[in-house]
Amino acid sequence: MTDKNPDKGFVALLGWSLNAIDAVDRFDRRYVVVAPPWAEDYCKQNDIPFVPWDFDRLNERSHELAHQLDDMGVDVAIPIFEETVEWAGAVNAVLLKNPRLLGQAMLFRDKSLMKRRAQLGGIRVGVFEEAHDRGDVIRFLKRVNQTLLKLDGDPNDPIHFKAFDKSGTAGHRVIRTPEDVDNIPDEEFPALLESHLDGWEFAVEAWIKNGKIEFLNISEYVTLGYSVFVPATPELEAHRERITEEIEKLIEVFDIEFGFIHPEYFLTSDNKLYFGEVAYRPPGFNALELIERAYGFNGYQGLVLAFDPKTTQEELDAFFPKEIEDAKGHAGCFGVYPRRRVVSRLEVPEQTANHPYFEFHELSDPREQKVAKRSAFGTHWGLAYFFGDNPHKLRDLLKEQEELDYYV
Amino acid sequence: MNVKDMSAPDDQSDGQEAEAVLARLSVTLDVAIERLERARPFAKGRYQGPVLDVVGRIIAQPGGLGVVRQRATRVDAAGLFSGSDWDRPEALLPQLVGGTLTSEDPAFRALEVCSLARFLAVADGDARHDNLHQDGARHFLTQVLALNLKDLFGVPDEAARALGARYDLKKRVLNHIADHVGLDDVLSVLVSEIWRLLEQRSVQVGMVKDMIAQIAIALNEKGTAPGSTRLGAERLVSALFGPTTASRDDPGLDIYLERLAVADESGLSREAMGFARAMHDTGLVSDYHAAFLTWALDYADRPLIPEALGLGGTGLDCWRHYRGLIEKLVRNAVTPATPQAAYGLAMLLDRGVLHHAPMVPALERQISLRIGGAARDRIALGFGEAVPPETHLLAGVLRVLGQPLGVGQGANPTCQSARAIALWALNDPDYLLHLITQVAEFDTLQMQFEGAPINSADLPVGLAGAGPIDADPVSVLLVVHLDRIYAEMGRLCAGRPGDPHTWINPQFHGWWVSRDCAVAVDVATGKLSSYDDFLRRFFAAYHPAYNGGRPLGHPQPAGIAVTDAHENFIGWHAIAILRVAEDQSGRMRVYFYNPNNDSGQDWGNGVIVSTSGHGERYGEGSLEFEAFLSRVYLFHDEPLRNPPGDEIPDNAIRQVSDQALSSWAATRQPEG
Repeated sequence: MTDKNPDKGFVALLGWSLNAIDAVDRFDRRYVVVAPPWAEDYCKQNDIPFVPWDFDRLNERSHELAHQLDDMGVDVAIPIFEETVEWAGAVNAVLLKNPRLLGQAMLFRDKSLMKRRAQLGGIRVGVFEEAHDRGDVIRFLKRVNQTLLKLDGDPNDPIHFKAFDKSGTAGHRVIRTPEDVDNIPDEEFPALLESHLDGWEFAVEAWIKNGKIEFLNISEYVTLGYSVFVPATPELEAHRERITEEIEKLIEVFDIEFGFIHPEYFLTSDNKLYFGEVAYRPPGFNALELIERAYGFNGYQGLVLAFDPKTTQEELDAFFPKEIEDAKGHAGCFGVYPRRRVVSRLEVPEQTANHPYFEFHELSDPREQKVAKRSAFGTHWGLAYFFGDNPHKLRDLLKEQEELDYYV
Repeated sequence: MNVKDMSAPDDQSDGQEAEAVLARLSVTLDVAIERLERARPFAKGRYQGPVLDVVGRIIAQPGGLGVVRQRATRVDAAGLFSGSDWDRPEALLPQLVGGTLTSEDPAFRALEVCSLARFLAVADGDARHDNLHQDGARHFLTQVLALNLKDLFGVPDEAARALGARYDLKKRVLNHIADHVGLDDVLSVLVSEIWRLLEQRSVQVGMVKDMIAQIAIALNEKGTAPGSTRLGAERLVSALFGPTTASRDDPGLDIYLERLAVADESGLSREAMGFARAMHDTGLVSDYHAAFLTWALDYADRPLIPEALGLGGTGLDCWRHYRGLIEKLVRNAVTPATPQAAYGLAMLLDRGVLHHAPMVPALERQISLRIGGAARDRIALGFGEAVPPETHLLAGVLRVLGQPLGVGQGANPTCQSARAIALWALNDPDYLLHLITQVAEFDTLQMQFEGAPINSADLPVGLAGAGPIDADPVSVLLVVHLDRIYAEMGRLCAGRPGDPHTWINPQFHGWWVSRDCAVAVDVATGKLSSYDDFLRRFFAAYHPAYNGGRPLGHPQPAGIAVTDAHENFIGWHAIAILRVAEDQSGRMRVYFYNPNNDSGQDWGNGVIVSTSGHGERYGEGSLEFEAFLSRVYLFHDEPLRNPPGDEIPDNAIRQVSDQALSSWAATRQPEG
């Protein structure tokens, strides 16, 4: 363990992420990991400070956890996963003596509430509705397409279906036909329905302290669920000023004093910015790692700074580099899914392996010969990492990967 | 920005472009290594894969091996090997390297290359490693080359061609190592290494036979300068592939048997004696020899078996008494899959074991024994199905009884079980056969501990897990049971003050283990306790000048603190003291049995175990009395003995004590 600074805050990481623990263990703040009891032996063996906790549905025991952490001297809790966001809110409400934080966390956890709140705050959102059963979905699909003046037999414009409390692409389905609706399992209801926006989709990672943005990254999606890279192309970065204003609106509307947010936006062809959703936790797809590759700072350590009430402005200024200017290059990754029905081994395509931008991969060997049919967006089998100085070349390279077989 | 913009190279890429690719990949490798370096020990796992991925691509490039070699120490320190067997280079087996280099999984290939690069860096003196010294690294690499000579020189065979790029990689890696270590070394080191191993007369000779086969190919392909190396090498090759006049040109078994059919009396005699000479010279049995013995069984004119086994006086006497049994043993145990049984049989006869009354019926029982159940599967798994498991077991029995001190533990933590098998084979052969029968027929072993019955089938698995399959057939059969019983005896001793071996060793091995036990360290604290008294007592028990000149009757189990060449403590190890006697130059030496597979070891500060040249018999290791004692931490002694007198000189005790305190006991001195 690095020498910990006793004058700085003591943080609790809610949720099990080896990457986060590794990064925070290397940082100068005292920390404790709050995770399910199965992690206990591992933590003992590796001297990782640990509090066992079952994060089931939020219940009255959140108070118990808050007091346990308070007794240990913990200053603030940091959510690592979507499922721990409301726990962090409940715990921080006690630790920071600010009951409002629990309500704020509930907004982040309910996609429908979140969207309404944004709309009330004057943020532009697409057409959306809540669905409690399949009938609601069919109705929304029909109505959206009627609005678009489609005739019977014209192919429908798709709608998006997102389970209320799932993160990222888990539980995210694209619906075009009534058959797609039949394939939705019961447990994914209730859900949020959204019209499809044609446009440029991207995500933002923002570290916030005292209601002010300390670092704002724009992650450009090449294809949702497949590939992303940072910093974005100059064409997207050209909108940085407007995007920053949008984030400031979010900060105001959701009353965010500190922490980290990860919203998604659409830039439509008529040059309007639409808000998709926002999460109060680190993004999936190892985006923090891409940021570290491009900028050289560790995103989890940045999280600790952003959450810790004892962080000083000098620390923040020294920690975060200057956006775009300080990037050493563009870092991207591609989530690999097997494309064939039956695969027997992993073989990085030759053109990828020989490409100067290709760095390395974290792909697993095929565990099963039979490839499960993808429903929703599913889970990729690992990531391939790329790095280079030309963002357009990187974007095209990531796009090309979709047509290549990594598993044969 | 440090990434050069560059299109992917095509097949005709010139040298410059290849260099640029290598330079770029080197930068990427450094990125991957930095990530691994940064990670905490518990998070290393995630960052190892990417490093191996880049290494895999670098080593496919010309000059890539050099890039990896430059970073070998850094990669090791960064934690590339943590969590895998490769983290302990001192425990790696050179015979596994070839297989891993052509593994299907590119990550394993890259890992092995990194590991070899680390050995190279240490061997070249560019790097140091806590558990690996320069000579050790060099020795390991020499063995790797020796074991893979075929791929270094040979024309690729079908199997090699099927491997394609993987075979090319292996060949390039071997050449890269040879460039650094030098090849002149390899053959001579290999030959002397083989002779050194052969002189210990191990029961298991598979690896030695492989190495000789490789030498044969190397000699054939490249030839070498004439000289003593070549002479030694050819002696080995001919012993295996053409030891006699009629087999010199390695004609194949069919043609050889045709030649036998038309040979005259003196020709057959010459064959028999040729085989015997080669066998006793090396301890190895040629396939032609095995064929000759089987053929000779049905040669009616006169018995050729005693000649072909090269029997001495005792052996010939056994032949005269028990010819029928011996012929049955040859018929049932000596086959093309089990030629070594012939050597075991010859040695067994010359030990006169058959004159021990229970042995003849016990061997008759062994011949008719049918192996059942799990025991049968285990032997088939370990030795293949070319001949029935019964044949493997009978051949194993002959080898173990003929070469008791050749029993080795394989790569298993079961030195106690291996030692027990060796000592029974030496001391109590019919008891060993009794145990074998129990396990073969009922897959269980019954023993007693201070009157309480123990049944191995009822016990949980011990150290050896499901049991070794990389040992001799007798060990494969018995160790899984012995190991459990040994562990159970340990459990039954729980709570007793002192070292449990005090009670276990006599109960486990037999009445002949002395009932008292001296231990150098206090079991609770791990610190030395009354060490000088311990040493005095050993002198009084074992040194002929101080024990009234009484020779050691039965071998006695003892425990040693094994140290490496730098005198660092490695672990406790079970051995057996066989005899204490003066060598040719009049120095008092302890001759002992070490169940690890190679007794010749350097324990540091001049304590180098000798395996030949100081009066050792086959399979014995030896050290001068004081040097040996400096590594002993536990020995058995008779409870009824007059207390050691004052005649043991203080300076002898001081000398031993100093040697111990400078090595394994350095951190075990009692406080105050």
